Amino acid sequence: MREFPFADPGVPDVRSPARFVWWLAARQWRTLVGGMFFGVVWMLAQAVMPALIGRAIDEGVAGGDTRALLGWAGALLVAGLVQAAAGVIRHRFAVANWLTASYRVIQLVGGRSAYVGAALPQQLSTGEVVSVGSSDLPHFGNVMDVTGRMAGAVVSFVVVAFILLDTSRTLGLVVLVGLPLLLVLIAPLLHPLQTRTMAQRERTGHLNSLATDIVGGLRVLRGIGGEQVFHARYARESQQVRDSGVRVGRMQSLLDALQVLLPGVFVVVVVWLSARSAVRGEITPGELVALYGYAAFLMLPLRTATEFANKAIRALVAARRFCTVWAVQPALTDPANPVDLPMTATLVDPESGLVVPPGRLTAVVTDNPDQGALIADRLGRYVDSSVTYGAVTLRAAARTQVRERILVSDASATVFAGPLRTAVDPWGRAAQYELSRALTAASAEDLLEALPEGWDSVVEERGRSLSGGQRQRVVLARALVAEPDVLVLVEPTSAVDAHTEARVAAGLAAHRKGRTTVVTTSSPLLLDRVDEVAFVVDGRVAATGTHHQLLQTDRRYRRAVTREDD
Amino acid sequence: MSELLPVADGRAVRRYARSLARRHPGDLRRVVALHALAALAGLAGPWLLGDLVQSVEQGTTLGHVDEVVGWLAVALVAQGLLTYFARYASTVLGEKALAELREDFVKNSLALPVGTVERAGTGDLLTRASRDVDQLGWSLRYAVPETLIALITTVLTVVACLFVGWWVAVPLLLGVPMLWAGTHWYIRRAQPAYLAEHASYGAISAVLAETVEGARTVEALGLQRARRDRTGAAVAESARCERRTLFLRTVWFPTVELGYLVPTVCTLLVGGALFARGDVDLGAVTAATLYVQQLIDPLDRLISWLDELQIAGTSLARLLGVAHVPDDRTPTGRRPDDEHLEAQGVRFSYVDGRDVLHGVDLDLRVGERLAVVGPSGAGKSTLGRLLAGIHPPRVGTVTVGDVGLTELPLDELRGHVALVTQEHHVFVGTVRDNLVMALDEPFSGSASWSAKLDRRLWGALDAVDALGWAEELPAGLDTTIGSGGHVLTPAQAQQLALARLVLADPHTLVLDEATSLLDPRSARHLERSLAAVVDGRTVVAIAHRLFSAHDADRVAVVEDGVVAEVGPHDDLIESGGSYAELWRSWHGEPTRT
Repeated sequence: MREFPFADPGVPDVRSPARFVWWLAARQWRTLVGGMFFGVVWMLAQAVMPALIGRAIDEGVAGGDTRALLGWAGALLVAGLVQAAAGVIRHRFAVANWLTASYRVIQLVGGRSAYVGAALPQQLSTGEVVSVGSSDLPHFGNVMDVTGRMAGAVVSFVVVAFILLDTSRTLGLVVLVGLPLLLVLIAPLLHPLQTRTMAQRERTGHLNSLATDIVGGLRVLRGIGGEQVFHARYARESQQVRDSGVRVGRMQSLLDALQVLLPGVFVVVVVWLSARSAVRGEITPGELVALYGYAAFLMLPLRTATEFANKAIRALVAARRFCTVWAVQPALTDPANPVDLPMTATLVDPESGLVVPPGRLTAVVTDNPDQGALIADRLGRYVDSSVTYGAVTLRAAARTQVRERILVSDASATVFAGPLRTAVDPWGRAAQYELSRALTAASAEDLLEALPEGWDSVVEERGRSLSGGQRQRVVLARALVAEPDVLVLVEPTSAVDAHTEARVAAGLAAHRKGRTTVVTTSSPLLLDRVDEVAFVVDGRVAATGTHHQLLQTDRRYRRAVTREDD
Repeated sequence: MSELLPVADGRAVRRYARSLARRHPGDLRRVVALHALAALAGLAGPWLLGDLVQSVEQGTTLGHVDEVVGWLAVALVAQGLLTYFARYASTVLGEKALAELREDFVKNSLALPVGTVERAGTGDLLTRASRDVDQLGWSLRYAVPETLIALITTVLTVVACLFVGWWVAVPLLLGVPMLWAGTHWYIRRAQPAYLAEHASYGAISAVLAETVEGARTVEALGLQRARRDRTGAAVAESARCERRTLFLRTVWFPTVELGYLVPTVCTLLVGGALFARGDVDLGAVTAATLYVQQLIDPLDRLISWLDELQIAGTSLARLLGVAHVPDDRTPTGRRPDDEHLEAQGVRFSYVDGRDVLHGVDLDLRVGERLAVVGPSGAGKSTLGRLLAGIHPPRVGTVTVGDVGLTELPLDELRGHVALVTQEHHVFVGTVRDNLVMALDEPFSGSASWSAKLDRRLWGALDAVDALGWAEELPAGLDTTIGSGGHVLTPAQAQQLALARLVLADPHTLVLDEATSLLDPRSARHLERSLAAVVDGRTVVAIAHRLFSAHDADRVAVVEDGVVAEVGPHDDLIESGGSYAELWRSWHGEPTRT
């Protein structure tokens, strides 16, 4: 089996769900062909068994020839051994096919989520994306897995049909025409099955997002006591999923019954025709047994064919969801010919009139905190705007370059699971002293004492094991380690106490000395340390100056930062 | 990495399966009976064929052939019909059992101690809720009925073999040692191997969920490669587990195949020998051979579904395991006689040996407003969680009306004390869904009732200053919010959480930085309008903004896990302790108005 993960999972063809499944298959054609080859050998070995048993009964038992009996029994044993060996190799190929498809899909979804970035959570729920990588996953693997057996089914069907044609033209024609006809009869059932399966999947997906909420919201629920209402809601939706499951089940049962009935009709017809031939002496009793064996064997290819159709349908449903996830685009597209950003320059937001001079620490105070976040989004080009950096509008530059140069760190910043070292330096590029310096500047050294294994202590998913204040300081330390040309911090001290805030303010100013930094805040401790303050009212810069100047000259500013009512 | 949630043991799983059977005895009997009849109808084939071969050899008429084939057709139609009803009945039963199981699972998850879930991480619980529920769903829809059918068919086919002649037992028994030895070897190793495999998929989901939820951070910091590597590492671990189970099957499958082959070949040989001695007729040899060969199919399905059942068992064990988390609450049935909340000698640690609180005493007066202040990491939030009965103290007591908070069942506890933190989680659903979860009264569908309810919800939104934006929502209370829906700002999410608290209307409210995401002036305004609504209730407000402290009746200063000082604002300022120092540092600006 090949090595996983893939170095590069490739670029999928998502023009339609079917094309995506086809693309997946084309990427692993070698193992698919291997699986098909052994699938054919495996099923053919089973297909010849009725003939061998028939000959053994005819020549060995009825003929009373011990040597012939031993000979045919030996042949049967060999066929069985071949079947066992081919079977296990086929299985190994099937698993390889399953894993190749599944892991490729996981890596694609993971990679795409990382690529799309900020726009993803706005357009799809976490549950929807994650279910493509969890509950939908088996469907991609299953359809690849079944191809080996499907190939065996097709080949053995053709072989058996020709053996029958050789025995009796009528019987051969019955099989050659009858079996495809059966498939055609079953096919119309597959469409409603697909519709119902899709409805069921959709409901299940929604139910899963509800369950996802338990983990994120359990603390909230526990505080307020909403467990019972939440459970009642889950139970209600669970019952809807149950209803749609029963609807799928009814169709499935019909399909199952037809899979017994239709091939059975076939067996009855074959037995009837061949028994009459046997009475007329045209065929031997052994051949009658063999013919019954063939007709019974043909149920296996037929079952495999419907299984294939079923799994293909489920894979298509899953592929549709994959395509939905893949279709999510980054909120902003890159220009055709991106312009390079200058090294150090003045950042200007024409919409608010904010001017951020290079190499200085600028604070933005707003009368409404949402405005601060919005300005930060514009400065970092998370929303489209006409912000300029030197002579270049951000719009004209490549998104990745903007991200490299201008880092926006806000309240929604996530701390990823892993050792504290990686949480602060996810790129693994800073030296130990730089990490310590950043942690000190963010006034977060106490973390090293609080965590059992210092830098190697594992921080849980989304920094859950940290307090709000600790998380905020880790995020700040991380932003400092990134050393961007322009650092935009949104309310970086909203969750820390006054003592810590004073230390953060001093540390931040020292650490970013000589670099461009923007802070949206209303904390006097922080404002006291910045080079310049821009006071924004109704989305426009109303006044600029130092904190002390503004306190003395602007009444509205005074009210906004000292939180006193007049 | 993190401590996973427990997994139920085999005994608990079997007990659950039995209780499931006991809960639906009628359905289960019907399913078994229908499948047995369908299998019986399927056994007519070889029997009738043996008869045909026998009569052809002895010379017979076309009329007899037509008659026998006619019976064959009747058996077939019966088998088809019975199959439909049997399958449908098992689907209905399976869906019913599945719904019960996942609802039980969610119910148990909701009762989990918060600390346990946080230690286990999202991935573990998420995989249980999605992949394991799905896996089990698949098993209950397919594996369980298929196994049942295979088992019934196997038993009936063996009976049919022996009916043809006792001698058939000899070749059948020859196959048993191989089947048994191979399967025994496999089953013993399979359980831990499949458990590891499942856990590896849990890790994959967790990594993916983190990437999706932190997508903005990934973009901001250019972590695309780092996240891809994390996904890759999770895939590599999963592949390792898959290789292990594949090895087990590679050994197991061939031994089983031999176990089928030997009886078929031996039946022919033994039958041939007996026929040569004239002990049996050709019809019997034919029927016996066909039955033994026909036995392979159900037997193979039975054994291969064992594999699937094993996986289902693992999933079930993981779902049931959630119920095995030791409860940190021990309801004693005692009722508090008043609303007096008190903490005595409280010590608490998240990690053994590292106490966060070192002996906290706090006596709350009914109806007072207490502000808790102190530096970050001093244990303020932990104290808040203990005062709200979320964690039991390691040492000491937290009581309401002399009854320990963790002695009260959850639903009763919330009438006494509720907690809102700075966490701004918005649940997937409508604004209404997000609010009504705080109401513990039964729902009624009547129009007047729901109009009244809506008025209450709007009232609660008004009390937290949220009326402005709430009225502008595209579909009002029916607007879908949460992951994938209309996006609320963190400040709005906080207001929503507070509106929930207003609706819950407990006697004591613990607010842990509950307005920290609002801008200071709105926060102060909100706190005042909230205070008017909850007038007469006891309020514990944990805050780093000192204006909250200034407005409070008393202030408690928490430092290094103990209450350093407690008293009215003015007294503390006068005493010149650490609060006074904090106050000065906060208001130490020269230009304070």
